[in-house]
Order: sequence, then structure tokens, then C-alpha cells
Amino acid sequence: MKTTKFLMAMVAAVLMGFSSQAMASGGGAALEHAEVDMTDQEQIRRGLTVFTDVCMGCHSAKYITYRGLMAYPEIGLTREEVDELRGERSLMDGMISDLSIEDAVVSYGKAPPDLSLIVPGRRGGADYVYSLLIGYEHDHEGKVPDGNWNKVFPGNRIAMPDPLSWLDHEADEEAELRQQAHDVSAFLAFIGDPHQNTRRAIGCWVMGFLLLLTLVLWRLKVEVWKDVKKH
Amino acid sequence: MTDQADQSRRNFLYVAAGGLGAVAAGATIVPFIGSMLPAADTLAASKTEFDVSTVEAGQLVTIQWQGKPVFVVHRTPELLKQVDGHDDKLKDANSEAIAEVQQAWMDTPETRKYRAIKPEYLIVVASCTHLGCIPLFKPSAGRKDWGDSVPEDWAGGWHCPCHGSYYDLSARVINGSPAPHNLHVMPYEYKTDTQVVIG
Amino acid sequence: MLDKIMKTQLFAWIDKRTGAEAIIKSQLTEYPAPKNLNYMWNFGSLALLVLVLQILTGIFLVMYYKPSAEATFGGFTVAFDSVERIMRDVNFGWLIRYMHAVGASMFFVVVYMHIGRGMYYGSFKAPRELLWIIGVVILLIMQGAAFFGYLLPWGQMSFWGATVITNLFGAIPVLGEYIGQVLVGGFAVGDPTLNRFFSLHYLFPLLLAAIVGGHVHALHVVHSNNPDGIDLHKPEEMIPFHPYYTIKDAFGVAFFLLFYCYIVFFNPQMGGYFIEVDNYVPANNLQTPAHIAPVWYLTPWYTILRSFESKLLGVAAMGASLGILFVLPFLCRSAVRSARFRPVYQIMVIMFFIDVIVLGYCGHSAPTATLKVVGQIATAYYFLFFLALPILPKFEKTKPVPEGI
Repeated sequence: MKTTKFLMAMVAAVLMGFSSQAMASGGGAALEHAEVDMTDQEQIRRGLTVFTDVCMGCHSAKYITYRGLMAYPEIGLTREEVDELRGERSLMDGMISDLSIEDAVVSYGKAPPDLSLIVPGRRGGADYVYSLLIGYEHDHEGKVPDGNWNKVFPGNRIAMPDPLSWLDHEADEEAELRQQAHDVSAFLAFIGDPHQNTRRAIGCWVMGFLLLLTLVLWRLKVEVWKDVKKH
Repeated sequence: MTDQADQSRRNFLYVAAGGLGAVAAGATIVPFIGSMLPAADTLAASKTEFDVSTVEAGQLVTIQWQGKPVFVVHRTPELLKQVDGHDDKLKDANSEAIAEVQQAWMDTPETRKYRAIKPEYLIVVASCTHLGCIPLFKPSAGRKDWGDSVPEDWAGGWHCPCHGSYYDLSARVINGSPAPHNLHVMPYEYKTDTQVVIG
Repeated sequence: MLDKIMKTQLFAWIDKRTGAEAIIKSQLTEYPAPKNLNYMWNFGSLALLVLVLQILTGIFLVMYYKPSAEATFGGFTVAFDSVERIMRDVNFGWLIRYMHAVGASMFFVVVYMHIGRGMYYGSFKAPRELLWIIGVVILLIMQGAAFFGYLLPWGQMSFWGATVITNLFGAIPVLGEYIGQVLVGGFAVGDPTLNRFFSLHYLFPLLLAAIVGGHVHALHVVHSNNPDGIDLHKPEEMIPFHPYYTIKDAFGVAFFLLFYCYIVFFNPQMGGYFIEVDNYVPANNLQTPAHIAPVWYLTPWYTILRSFESKLLGVAAMGASLGILFVLPFLCRSAVRSARFRPVYQIMVIMFFIDVIVLGYCGHSAPTATLKVVGQIATAYYFLFFLALPILPKFEKTKPVPEGI
């Protein structure tokens, strides 16, 4: 019985301990916390605006379609708003940047990665994306040109030049720039896993039901085993 | 040996467990069978746009809508005249039999006869209502062009090669055909004079 | 309720043509099980549950998954796109995918607990040696199925994990290169590899289903061990499997589902252990991720592999670490089964469990000099544990074993 308890406790500890998402990447600074709310439609929409105004200049997000911008309640754009964004492109098209991969490689040295899965695809998730956007600094060693030195990017030298113009920002711009960074992180966190709110909502019901089921089966087991314990 | 209280508690627990288990099993099936329903992107591809001015007079064009074939026929005035005068030979002259052969705009004798919003352009699902083959377009009246494949009093229309069903130039099924219904009309509307949105 | 069903006419009709009543009696209602089994005995039925869940979710995933490494826009592939389609467009696709990914890891959690029970209580000893051996076969097929399945999303970790492991087979002398080519289907991991891994990933769990049938049959011939490890002869020491263990197993299933569903609905990635962060990045054959590690359940063997300088020795040691499991029943010479009555073995086997966890930790972490030494020590203990078993009875003073339960 003692050994069983010990083993079960170890399993539980091991499983619960694996919930931490924030693991600092090698060579990067500590991450700041992104204030994102997956149920905040206004924040996600502001983030969409930052994405279309700033990020889409170079980056695509091919798994989020213009139709999806209407269909997901967390974004919920109207047909008119989507028509304005998509222009000639079909509703079924993903959000693809006008910058071709070849031109991007010429200008920046690397193809800008698709951002559909950037939040689940980086250690630190939304915190990492947020910290990266506000993590541009002057290279103390003077080797890396301004706008390409980032304190959280692994190796510090990043091909993407400071998209929000964080470097050398004025003091009165700071709040707005931080907000943009929070908002676009929220948008990207949402499109990385668009059904997450439904998932958690269903999960609450499932856990409640399972607690009830477990309780009933436990009492049934105890009850039926009374026959055995009596002998 | 269990006493009465124990036994009734046991029964209650059995029933409770069984009931909850059935709920769990049912709830588990929902996402699996649900996943087999058409996916969101499949459903979204439910509309097709088409420019009818690309169809020449007297010509039939077959396009795709939701993976199904669709006839778009540009009927000349002569062809439109061939729609008259044989109502007694039709199974369902007014397209009343089932929901799929009619639309809300079929509310006058003319729209019921021509089965189109604009009579010149007939748009119907190109799937024979018998078993789904695509019927052959045989618009000219009589046997001159078509030989024995059409009846003597042929007024123009379609002939299905699979089991011999006949339809007139408004795609209404003719008596004696194995097909039970007129070719289906799906929802469509004119966005402009020439742009049709099907679906 | 079962007895009510068995009294119906329909059941009589079926029984006459299948012998169902005799089967139900011999395998359930009159099948004797020790009355003192603890909750460590629940893991067998849990493993069967997870196998069924994996096959069920897998079949529905395959309705939408496309096994093609053909490139699509943005550096992705048809396969990766199809997984994202399942996550976004397919009704409840996200749920089925998360169930399958979490289920794969939970399968190993449950099976490792099940194996641990067997090792601790001596369930591998006579007359259950073959039962244990079939179990080791199941473990190997599980590892194969997991390895093949992991390639399918065609993420960075999928691709590079497959590249590393298939290169491993190249280290085998004489046949190595041939085996590698047969596995990979080309010069490097690519579309042919994906297609055949998909076929094998579908096959292996179905093989498992058959072998599990053999495992349960072998069990039913020799009957379950018990926590005291003693042979039970008296009828009052046994109880029928149904209803006592069917209900206890049902309770265990519900309890397990609490953990499983919590993870599926609230933390399916499990901090990158169940669904790796790098696998959300599409495979790039020109760039290795900064940190390659196999999925957590394969990490102990990865450490054993990396503990040796020579690639061949590493592969051989890894193979030996799995192979030695087969002969465990024959290495252990003690007359006493359960660790409850074997003070030296009890410490050794608990240290073995900790050792496997240490091996796993080393395998998952970046290879520093310290961790390499730790891994080597852990590898040494892994083998020492098995090799010490034959001589253990010479100096272990076992505690007196009870007569009955």
C-alpha cells in the first residue's frame, strides 16, 4: 500500500510538473509576460489590425482564411470588413503577404516564417512573441546593426528588423507600442489554436461529469466489495 | 449477506453508473460521427459564380457546383417555343412533386413552364433523377438529328443514355421514363445582369 | 444485469452457435482472481482502454490526414496542411487530434506503470515467463508504432527524429545500410519514408490488438499474480473477476479519464512533452532544430545510446537494454516473487525505476558534460540491476512469506 501510494504520488507529481510553458531559450533573456485574453474580441481585433498593417508586409498566415475572420466568434468581422481586407482575393484564401519569398530573401536574408503557428511553435509562446517585439536594443558590442539585435532571440542576431520601431522610441510612445505588442501576440496566440475557448468550455463540462462518474463508480466499488471484505 | 439498505443502495449505484456510462458513451460518439460531417472548408465552397453571357445562343455548358455537374443552357426563342404543347406527356408539368424541382420564384405559369429566372438561361443540376447519370442534350425537335434514340414526337430536350429517361427543354421528365422527377433546380440568383451565383 | 441477459432467448440462440455462455463464465463470472489485488493491477485494463482509444481516434484522423511530403506554400507540406485542416476545419478535429497525441503519451505512462508492477511484484516469474515475454513484444511494437506515427505530421521534430533514428540502423554492421534503405526508401527521409511509415503506423496497432489477445489468453491460463507474490490455492482466497474486478476496473477507468481529459482539454501539449514545440514548425531538411530529443517515452533508451563514444556500441547497448528485458524471468533466481518480502531486491528495483527516470531526464536535456556522466552511471546501473539478479539469492535474506491472504 505504501509503495503504491509512493508510485502514484510520483506519477502525479511528474504529470502536474510538466505544465509549465515558459522555458527560457538558450542565449535569450528572461521573458516578459504578454497580457493576452483569448475571449477578448476587441484585443484580438486590434491584434488583427497590427497584423495586417505591420506584419503582413512580409509575413503570411496561410492557415487563417478571410472566411475564418468572419466565422470565428472571437474575431467576428462582418462581410464588408472582410471584403475590404481581402480585395481581389477569395474568401477561401489564407492571409498571404504580397512580399514574395524570393524578394524577402534578397532583402532580409531569410524567408519570413508563416505566423499561423508561431505562438505554439516557439518556446515561451505568446510571452516569447511579446518579449521579442519589445526586445530590440542597441548591440553593446557594436557588431550588429541597429534593429537587428534582439535580447530574447536565440543568438541575439535577428533577420527581422524592429517591426514596431521599438528601438529609440519616445517615452510617450511606449504605452501604445507595448499595447500593440500585447495585442498582436493575442491575435497570434488565438490563430495558433482557434478552437481553444470551445475546448476549455467543453472541458469544464467533461471534468464535472467525470468527477460525478468517478464518485458513483467509487461508491459502487466500495459497496460491491463489502461482500469480499466480510469474508 | 447484504441487508436491504445495502441492496437498494447497490441497485441505485448500478443504475446511476449505468446511466452515466450511457451518457458518456453517447457523448463520446458525438465528436467522432460529427467529424464525418462535411468540414468547414468543404461547406464554405458551397457557392459558385458564373457569367451566363459566355454561353452562346443554343449552346449548353456544363459547370461544377459543390462537386456536382450543372447544365447552363442558353435557349433561343425557337427552343423556348418547343417547351409548349406537350404538358399531357409530362409527369410533373408544374414542378410540384418534390422540393428540389421548384424554387420560390416559380410562382407564375411562365416561370413554372420555363423553370428559370430569365427564360433564356436554364440552370439545372445535370444529374438524371433516376440514378444520376448525365443526360445527353438533344435540343432539335424530331428524329432528323437523333435517329431512333428519341421518340417520334420528340420536342427537344435531354435523353439519358443509361436507362432511357427523357426530359423536355425545361428539363421536365416525360412520361414513360424511369426517372421520377424533373431535373433539380438549385437556388441561384443574378448578382448583375449576367453574373449568376449558384448555391 | 449480466445474468438477466444470459437468461434471455436471444442469448440462448447466440450461445448455441458460439458457446458464449461458457466463454463468459470462464473469462468473467467464474474466472478466479486473487482477492487482494491492489490498484497497481488496474493498469492492464487501462492499457487496453488506451489502445482502443488510439485505434478509434486514429481511424477518424485517417479520414482527413494525407501522407504526402509534397511541398505547399510557405515551407509546409500536404501532410502538415492536412493536420492543420483537422485542427481548424474538421468538426471536432481538434479534439480527435489532441486525444490521439495525448493518448500516445498516456499509453506509455500506463504501460510503464504496468511493467513496474510486474517487476516489483515478480509477476514475470514462473509460470508467467511467457506472459512477460509477450508483454516485452508489446512494448517493442508500441515503440515502433509511436516512432512511425511521430513522423506523420511532418514537423521539424518529426523529420529530424526520423533522420536520427534511421541513421542509427545504419550503424548495424553488414546489414545496416540495407535496413536503412528499406526503412527510408531513398537517400534521405522523404516522401517514400512518410508513405511507408503511415502504412506501418496503421498496421502496428492492429498487430498489437492481436498480440494483446494472446497476452490476455496467456494470463488467463496461469491467472494473476498478487501483491504478496504467493501461489493461492484456497477457494476463499479467490473471487470471480466479474463483478468485483470489472467494477474496480471501471472505477479505475473513470479515475484515469479524469487525468486524461484534463490534459486533453486544458493542457494537451503538456509543456512541450506530449506535443513538442518544434513540431509546430514545418520540417526543413536544411536546418536542424537547436535541440533534438526523442519524445519523452523514448528518452531512457536515447541516453543509453548516447552513453557510448562508439556509434556501434551505443546501438548495441540500446538493443541490449531492450533485449535484456526478455530474459528477466530467467535471470531472477529468487524463490520469492514479491519485493514485499525481498528487502534487497525492493531497494534495487525502486532504484531501477528512479534510474529509468534519470535516464529519461538525461535523454531529454541538452547534452552537457555532467549530464553525460550521469547518463553513463545510470546506464551502468540499468545493466547492473539485471546482471546482479542471478547472484542475489546467494546473500539476500528474504522475509517470511505468508501462507495465504
